[in-house]
Amino acid sequence: MDELMYLAPEIVVVATGLAILLAGIFLSPQSKNLLGYLATLGVLAALFLTVKSFELLTMQGFMVGYSIFSDTLNIDALSQFFKLIFLVVALIVAIAAIKYNENSDHTEEFYALMLFATFGMMIVASANDLIVLFCAFELASLATYGLAAFEKQNPRSLEAGMKYFVFGSVSAALMLFGMTFVYGATGTTSIPQIAANSGLLTSSPIGLVAVVLLIAGFGFKMALVPFHMWAPDTYQGAPSVVSSLLAAGSKKMGFVAAFRIFIVALAALQPDWQFAFTILAVVTMTFGNLVAVSQTSVKRMLAYSSLAQAGYIAMAFAVMSPLALTGGIMYALAHAFMKAGAFIAAGVVVWMVTSEKRGNLKIPDHLDNFKGLGKRMPLTAFSMMIFVFALAGIPPTAGFMAKFVLFSSTIAAGMTWLAIIAILNSALSLFYYARLVRYMYVLPPEGGKVSEPFPYAIALLVAVAGVLAMGIWPEPFVELATNAAMVLF
Amino acid sequence: MALENLAFLIPVLPALAFVITFFFGKNMKSGGAIVPILAIAASFVISLMITLGLLANPEEVVTQSVSWFAMLNLGVLIDPLAAVMLCMVTFVSLLIHIYAVGYMSHDPAKSRYFAETALFTAAMLSLILSDNILQLFVSWELVGLCSYLLIGFWFTKPSAAAAAKKAFLTTRIGDVMFLTGIIVLTSDLLKIAGGIPEGVYLLRFNEIFSYIPELSAMQANIFGTEVSHLTIITLLFFGGAVGKSGQFPLHVWLPDAMEGPTTVSALIHAATMVTAGVYLVARTFPMFLAAPDSLMVVAYVGGFTALFAATMGIVMNDIKRVLAFSTISQLGYMMLGLGLGATIGMEAVGVSLFHLVNHAFFKALLFLCAGSVIHAVGTHDMRELGGVAKVMPITAVTMTAAALALSGMGIPGTSIGTSGFFSKDAIIENAYLLGEHSGNWLPYVFSILAALLTSVYIFRLIFMTFTGKPRSNYGGHESPSSMTIPLAILAGFALVFGGLTQTGFMSFLEETFSNNFVNVDIGSLAALGGYELVHATGHEPLFILWLPLIVALAGLGISFVLYYMRAVDLGGIASEKNPIYKLLYRRYYQHELFTEFFSIGIVYGVIAFLAQVVDVIIDSIVESISIVTVAAGEALKRVQTGVVQTYATVMIAGVSLLIILVKLIMEVL
Repeated sequence: MDELMYLAPEIVVVATGLAILLAGIFLSPQSKNLLGYLATLGVLAALFLTVKSFELLTMQGFMVGYSIFSDTLNIDALSQFFKLIFLVVALIVAIAAIKYNENSDHTEEFYALMLFATFGMMIVASANDLIVLFCAFELASLATYGLAAFEKQNPRSLEAGMKYFVFGSVSAALMLFGMTFVYGATGTTSIPQIAANSGLLTSSPIGLVAVVLLIAGFGFKMALVPFHMWAPDTYQGAPSVVSSLLAAGSKKMGFVAAFRIFIVALAALQPDWQFAFTILAVVTMTFGNLVAVSQTSVKRMLAYSSLAQAGYIAMAFAVMSPLALTGGIMYALAHAFMKAGAFIAAGVVVWMVTSEKRGNLKIPDHLDNFKGLGKRMPLTAFSMMIFVFALAGIPPTAGFMAKFVLFSSTIAAGMTWLAIIAILNSALSLFYYARLVRYMYVLPPEGGKVSEPFPYAIALLVAVAGVLAMGIWPEPFVELATNAAMVLF
Repeated sequence: MALENLAFLIPVLPALAFVITFFFGKNMKSGGAIVPILAIAASFVISLMITLGLLANPEEVVTQSVSWFAMLNLGVLIDPLAAVMLCMVTFVSLLIHIYAVGYMSHDPAKSRYFAETALFTAAMLSLILSDNILQLFVSWELVGLCSYLLIGFWFTKPSAAAAAKKAFLTTRIGDVMFLTGIIVLTSDLLKIAGGIPEGVYLLRFNEIFSYIPELSAMQANIFGTEVSHLTIITLLFFGGAVGKSGQFPLHVWLPDAMEGPTTVSALIHAATMVTAGVYLVARTFPMFLAAPDSLMVVAYVGGFTALFAATMGIVMNDIKRVLAFSTISQLGYMMLGLGLGATIGMEAVGVSLFHLVNHAFFKALLFLCAGSVIHAVGTHDMRELGGVAKVMPITAVTMTAAALALSGMGIPGTSIGTSGFFSKDAIIENAYLLGEHSGNWLPYVFSILAALLTSVYIFRLIFMTFTGKPRSNYGGHESPSSMTIPLAILAGFALVFGGLTQTGFMSFLEETFSNNFVNVDIGSLAALGGYELVHATGHEPLFILWLPLIVALAGLGISFVLYYMRAVDLGGIASEKNPIYKLLYRRYYQHELFTEFFSIGIVYGVIAFLAQVVDVIIDSIVESISIVTVAAGEALKRVQTGVVQTYATVMIAGVSLLIILVKLIMEVL
């Protein structure tokens, strides 16, 4: 019974999901609008419980962790920090989806899937066993496949979901394959046990194969090149709220799983995966930024920018110092705010174009539809400007602080060349981010003023508040991220 | 105490008001003026309460400090010096905001106006309560930016845009010196402390002051003379103050700054921003005390500026320009007051700040009265005015009160007199002490001559504007009560504030550097500089005490004869044929010399040439980078075919390649 107490946030999320699913059966489409508010409340409650759980972890000023359910789940600063990320994204998405699902017949399905996906991600953050981790990973993935294809009438959405599903299945197979190698060599699925037996892995080439297969499996979620191919198509085709969940939330699931498996379980193989991640980080950020330059669809551009951001976070594995991990973990949170917000902002424009039936209807998130947005929807344009500047790493935003910690740790670790590549990449990224701002503020508007629907506005404001809070007042976030990073050492 | 914990709100509230007014002011009544007014009123109340607490217990200053982003620090320090400035700035700013509701009522961009003045107030307040030099500098720059925006408020007018640019660039020279000073200081401190100490913020004022002996011991060799680093740093700081406070030779921007709305002139270019330079010197005064050479420079520059600006004030015909030169001249007095620290020690801060506060009251009042006249009559030119007292009696009375304060009317030896009398005479008398003590008589001569001219130009303004017959056809009416009530309040302060607070004020400010935050020993600082302080003041000959009043009355007499009675025909003297008049009227040809010859001719020419060359080089670099980038992006884009089979192939190929690559490299390494 005591052990359940640690899972209070997860229980709230699942219970809310089940309640919504059940209630949806009896409600008319109009009254289903209430379900969005219910989901938001549930996520808020879970968020509150997660924040409270940090108190349990502090004992006489030190951070402690707990292992529960026969060592299959870990409750520590790292897991709770990532749960915070997932819940924040879920909150932003849940609020924005109130409008997205307005008067829809499938509201309860959307929210149930979204909450189950969030639940899966939260369990991944805590998982201390390969089997638990895989199951939770698949729970989150399966739920998001459905969400990506949520607009059944929209061929682009179907395509997005289908590609995501096929690619996800291949990756899951590779990941499972990697896990079996690890199990075969060490004879256990428990992460601490693997770490204890890791000498068996280094003695045969199987260790290297297992590492690369696992990187491929997690790299799919993180969207590292060359495991990224699904991401642009899916992020563009899926409904914006779902893209937001995928890019800001489920991507981080890959990172937290990789943190646990590589840094804790496979510490003995550190030279191998450290090198692999170095290559992947450089290739991913450069590829992402270069291709983003020539995109005309904003969601696609954000998808490639999301690749580049994953490349930056992957630098944490390449550097592997406590400060670098702090930076990577901070970046994960910063990216959650910026990317979730940016996709929602793009979603608002898509909504505007489709409901007004003017502009480029074929590609509703085309750059041309952003012309003069500063005059048409000042709040959306302003938030979008904050998000893209944060993504480019301009102070005083979350993106700047995270980049600052991460890049300075890279220099401190003596990998100046990597820091230079990353900084040049940031400079390059400003090109396409600034272009978007130019479209929004310099070019003349095509159409009149539109007022944002209330839920979208609130979701944007939550994200803006997060981005600015982390940028102006980074201390508490740095402290949380440091505690989380310390779990891994 | 709970109230002290609110100290950080003093700048934060106006900053919030800026955000609200800037974004939502357009849709509010009268441009959202109510938001900054309420915010500044709240700041004023907090400042006043803290000051009252401090008055009871000047040892216990308010400090708050949070480290921000590893090496930086955000802090609040409210000691007597800051407290006095805070109250003055919030109070004057509050009155001017209220006045501006009436004054700006016809302007379509008034929400922008109120947003910018709110931001300015926030920046100025943050400058005042900084507890470290870096935060002070950041606010200092923000103040400069706001000044630029507000001078160029009517930016469609070419003269306003030019004036804004001139102000920005001129003060920039000072800012660069200030920044250089901070850089020298920081590197010296790091050298002394041997790296960044843990948990201590080196650029906080208490830390800086505790290192004064070491700084003073560091010598640099400049052109064969040994100069202490402390002297260099303080002179660089003073360079910043010269720019911001319009001291010679960087004063040229201030008269042109009158292109902004009159309320801006009153707020920024009379009462608050221009005093930032004086405040900077006062804030770092212990450093100056240990560097007597710098103090002498401050005294001479201040004294000279006081006289120099006053000579130009007597020939200007634009009512606002007379006031602008008067401001420069009075700022010179304040600087002179600080420079006197070489003789009278800490008392100099009290004397100078006392004049600063009094000046803020009567100069803001003068500007608001001028604004009231301009608002009603529609012209700046005093030659077209005359007899305005008949149509605007309240304005005439309040402006005369301000003029009396400016010229320093009062009876020596008693506590009867206007505000300006107590503070300006104190400076002049202490300048006499400096002469007597060190043989530097020039500052005293400057200050006494400037006092004569001050009285001449301000009563010339009064007589030309308010008496006689109208010299052109103007319709006019008394201003609305939202404008006259601030005038009346300020007039009250201009008349009695000095007399009421005279002794208490100065002794309060002398406590600035001895409390729980900093505690400097004046005697040892003076010993570092190698000089002695005079403690016995107030024993000057009777004639010296009366002389300032005598010259002020003489000035009044001259103006009365020339501009009221019109006893002498001025046509012959005040013409372009008279070389002295022409020299003064043309402002010593500074515009031709500084702006047209030096700035535009030389600097601009060189920059334009360099810019062309550099442009070509940089442009070609940038363009080739962008061409390569875009081409690479286009090429890589084709990898994304949209076919799932390709995707899976790429993935498996990637896995295989990665295994081979890692294996290979691991073997090689």
